[in-house]
Amino acid sequence: MELTEVEDGYRLTNVPDDPVLEQHDTDRIPEVDVDQEMLSESGEDPESWLMYGGGYEQHRHTTADVITPDNVDDLELEYELSVGTGSSMEGTPVVVPGDPPIMYQTNGPNHVNAIDAREGEVLWSYAYAPPIDVLLCCDDNNRGVAVYGDKIYMTTLDSGVVALDRYTGEEEWHTFTGDHEVGYSATWAPVVYDGTVYTGSAGGEYGVLGFLAALDAESGDEVWHEDTLPEDEWIGASRDSGCGTSWMTPTIDEERGVLYTPIGNPGPDFDGTVRPGPNFPTCGTLTMDLESGEIQWGFQESPHDVWDYDSAAPRVLVRDVEIDGEETDVVLGSGKTGWVYILDADDGRLYERSEGCSQHINMWRMIPHISEEERIPFVPGAPGGNDWQPPSYSPETELAYFVHQNFPQDLYWRFEEYEPGDPYWGGGLDDPADEIPDEWNGYITHFVAVDPTTGEIAWMDQIESEHYMWGGSMTTATGLVFNGDQNGNFVAYDGETGDRLWEYEFDVPISASPMSWYDPDEEAQYVAVQVGGSGWLRQGPRGDTLAVFSMEG
Amino acid sequence: MTQTSADETTTVAQRRDLANALEVDVSGDEPVTWDGLAGRVESTSDPAFASIGEEIRADLAGQLDAALLEDVLDGLERELRRLPEVRAVGVPDEPGGNYVAVAEPGWRLYDHLLEINFFERLDETMPRFTAEHVERTTRELVGTESLSSALEEIGFDETEKTALLVAVATNNERLARWVPANQIPDGVEFDTSKVPPLHQRAMGGALLWIRGLDRHLWQYEPLVTEAILDDAAWYTKAMLGGIYVTALAAHDLATAESFSDETVTAAFTGSAAIQIVSQEDLMRDVFYITDEMRAPSKLR
Repeated sequence: MELTEVEDGYRLTNVPDDPVLEQHDTDRIPEVDVDQEMLSESGEDPESWLMYGGGYEQHRHTTADVITPDNVDDLELEYELSVGTGSSMEGTPVVVPGDPPIMYQTNGPNHVNAIDAREGEVLWSYAYAPPIDVLLCCDDNNRGVAVYGDKIYMTTLDSGVVALDRYTGEEEWHTFTGDHEVGYSATWAPVVYDGTVYTGSAGGEYGVLGFLAALDAESGDEVWHEDTLPEDEWIGASRDSGCGTSWMTPTIDEERGVLYTPIGNPGPDFDGTVRPGPNFPTCGTLTMDLESGEIQWGFQESPHDVWDYDSAAPRVLVRDVEIDGEETDVVLGSGKTGWVYILDADDGRLYERSEGCSQHINMWRMIPHISEEERIPFVPGAPGGNDWQPPSYSPETELAYFVHQNFPQDLYWRFEEYEPGDPYWGGGLDDPADEIPDEWNGYITHFVAVDPTTGEIAWMDQIESEHYMWGGSMTTATGLVFNGDQNGNFVAYDGETGDRLWEYEFDVPISASPMSWYDPDEEAQYVAVQVGGSGWLRQGPRGDTLAVFSMEG
Repeated sequence: MTQTSADETTTVAQRRDLANALEVDVSGDEPVTWDGLAGRVESTSDPAFASIGEEIRADLAGQLDAALLEDVLDGLERELRRLPEVRAVGVPDEPGGNYVAVAEPGWRLYDHLLEINFFERLDETMPRFTAEHVERTTRELVGTESLSSALEEIGFDETEKTALLVAVATNNERLARWVPANQIPDGVEFDTSKVPPLHQRAMGGALLWIRGLDRHLWQYEPLVTEAILDDAAWYTKAMLGGIYVTALAAHDLATAESFSDETVTAAFTGSAAIQIVSQEDLMRDVFYITDEMRAPSKLR
């Protein structure tokens, strides 16, 4: 399959008629089903990484403690495996413990491998066959799978979810949750809780109506399907194409019985006059009841947005933090506005907004709309701030880590006389900006550590590059933070100070988010990351490498 | 605690622009006010402007519910007079309450107008915002004494009334971006069948912003300043003033009272302009809270 750029996005070519399954030594996969208890304890179990965010609270944290700030210098590459198709590489693998541990890794377009994580050998691989008319705004991404029982679950680019037998790779069921012909697609890792698969919606550049859906994990039947946009928050039919998609993995709060999901931009992107009002709850956080999908609360970071300031990165749930003398649970929301929002998990009320994670130059200053001649460069640009890149949290350092872009773009609303037959886009986007503002610091990305009790920035690593940083981070029980950058450097930071303690250089960008597990039979901790350029802008050279590092304990 | 005066929301330069737009010479420190302009603006006869009002009257007068509109006018006046109390509360205690109630009479008007296809008919009848149409509208508004006095009766002082005129007269380019739904051609990047009529967007948008204030102020309390609260109250008052003008003109149509056809055209155009400009200003000054605008953090 190949990805071809077209006028309004990307389309796939050379797509096979049917899915392609290749089986190798599948008997090596231990037939031990993943149960709910294993999922609930995934974040605490050093041998597991059973879902996209590591655990339901999306800390992207391993309790494995072999690799420490003192010995990380000795971390070595265990193996490299060519897994991809030379296309998008934005995923986070999951690892099911066993002898051997089995890794399930995906890359674009809709390609999944079951891998003996100890030996670095592919045991089966599966490629879904999406229709050739799928329209994609931002690359042919797939960011990972969910696992439960004897199955894994992967979203498909044509807005579906496919369930595969995780021991053989054979397809069990496929369910469409939206119609790809009207613009829906799906790229994120779903999440499973209590026998239900939770998935969302993409297509925010094509006038769809955002939703979340819950599917029965065994049969694929839809349990509920709820729109993200409440009818009484929109005027007339503007809601029908108001977008507000939910295109990254929801965060599960087992105690409250709710999910927290990021919500994307309203539609159309740039012409706000046709969708008046705040366009609640776009560009923010939405909380829904796990059993019914009923909306609990929403919080907007950029109401009535006309800058494409999605809030897409997974929310991070941090329990029992002390804020202003009170113990509370907070939800951390980080979007393209370049701040982190510390929200009360109960009701979405803001405790505090962080210090600026990106610069804010001419931010929100183009309302009222100005003419093309008067356009001004602004930071953050349309890629953010924090686009979809997943944050991490360290219980060890009690800091959360975020990737924020920091680059000036021009966005302008172009006054156009409406003439039948002439196109009306209502605006345009230039990257880079025509004129770089004097105030810009020259760093395209900030990797930032934020105190979730105060919003204070503990440290910031400022990155120079031609590309945007396109992957997320991971924390360890020993206070390390791993992050791959757009210059091909895989870095272990001292989570407390931001000092770079270890680096490994690849020859292409890292656009994925790392993960880790401990293998008791080998008495070793492993760290894995996918390598290759990805994204909708400034993606850099492609790659197809899964890199696994290890250290014996 | 005081409510922001319109003196603080319009500048001397903007008021001068208003006078210039109406071709009225003002000298030195002479204040520019609605009443001051009223006697000095030359009336111009424009049959086309009048025919719009005539058509609207013919189409809709019989469908408007005079009793409901009277009730709406009373409700809007009540909520306008209650606004200082709402402002005095500051950040609301809950995400829905004070401003939700303030918007309620406006929603009753909106629902009635929606029911009788008022908004669609206005899209079919009214021209889009152009410099000429806006200027003609402003002249008519300034010269309509009954409108001026009605606004005074519901609590708009001279500077506040003038601020409403400034909103109409000095924002041609912004207003021009709000295009009647039926004038957006096929071929744009979004589905035009999903775009509500212009006047529905203006009023519905204004009401959504007002109703959303409780939630916004409550959620964003750590960032909210007294200036933000003042602006929230003022722009709400301005939007309600615009909605009141729509209700007044609709009521006049329903009861065949005093408004001329020109005044009907000007009232519906001007009220939509006030609602549009004020909701954009509200989002800029109240919802888009930059670090420079925000209250100092109490946690760091």
